[in-house]
Amino acid sequence: MIRCEEILRELSDYIDEELTPELRSKMEAHMYACRHCKVLVDTTRKTLTLVADHSFLELPQGVSERLLERLARRRG
Amino acid sequence: MISQGAVASEQIRDEELVRRVQQGETEAFATLVQRHQRAVYWVIQSILHNHADSEEILQESFLKALEHIGDFRGESRFATWLIRIAINEARMRQRKYRAGLYESIEEQHEDKEFRPRELTDWRPNPEELWAKEELAVLLRRAIRSLPAIYREVFLLRDVEHLSTEETAMALDITVPAAKTRLLRARLMMREFLAPYFKMNWGQRMIARVNQRGRPV
Repeated sequence: MIRCEEILRELSDYIDEELTPELRSKMEAHMYACRHCKVLVDTTRKTLTLVADHSFLELPQGVSERLLERLARRRG
Repeated sequence: MISQGAVASEQIRDEELVRRVQQGETEAFATLVQRHQRAVYWVIQSILHNHADSEEILQESFLKALEHIGDFRGESRFATWLIRIAINEARMRQRKYRAGLYESIEEQHEDKEFRPRELTDWRPNPEELWAKEELAVLLRRAIRSLPAIYREVFLLRDVEHLSTEETAMALDITVPAAKTRLLRARLMMREFLAPYFKMNWGQRMIARVNQRGRPV
């Protein structure tokens, strides 16, 4: 049985699906028994879902127009 | 001359557009600008934290990319190459202002061990409780709360979806360093957001009854 510290260390690779199937199974077995680690993984994954569509980082108004104008001026 | 009328098709790959610009069809550059300006602006903004400077460096970065487009050999994706230019420009501006004083303080975070504290489960679909703009403000605050070295990695990897290798390349750090910073950044983001999204006591009880048949 792997320990909570290892779950924490491997958490990113687990979420990114970059672990070997063997380690993945071990982590899932641990999380089945350990609620804290399950919450940690679930809520970290949820965090990434919230930021994934980047609509919270829109380009401020007018920036695009001014950028294209500046490029056009420079190139003449 | 570059006009506001970008090349119409969304289907043309960046690398094909770059090839056209290299051959003198500078109209194609406008499409590259429109595709990448948002990501590039926010990468710069995450370093400078100031709209006026970020907009100026955004313009400088695209001008520089256009000027040096002949040097782009397709060894990385165009987006990675462009973001690397923008990061360098932003860091040069930052150094000019503050001579590296704060940078060294922020670097010290890297070796500290991070222990997740907030381990209460979140409500299902917590984002539905927030108006879109409220949620956007909260997420921007969360990202701003990260020390610079974590903020940059998180933005590139998890918001702009560069690969870990591309993120490392854009920031001029090793892949293991990018991974270490990314893990820390993700945990810090989660910790920042947890108080806003976690279940209250009553919801936790209901969830546990549903899950196990009895409250524990």
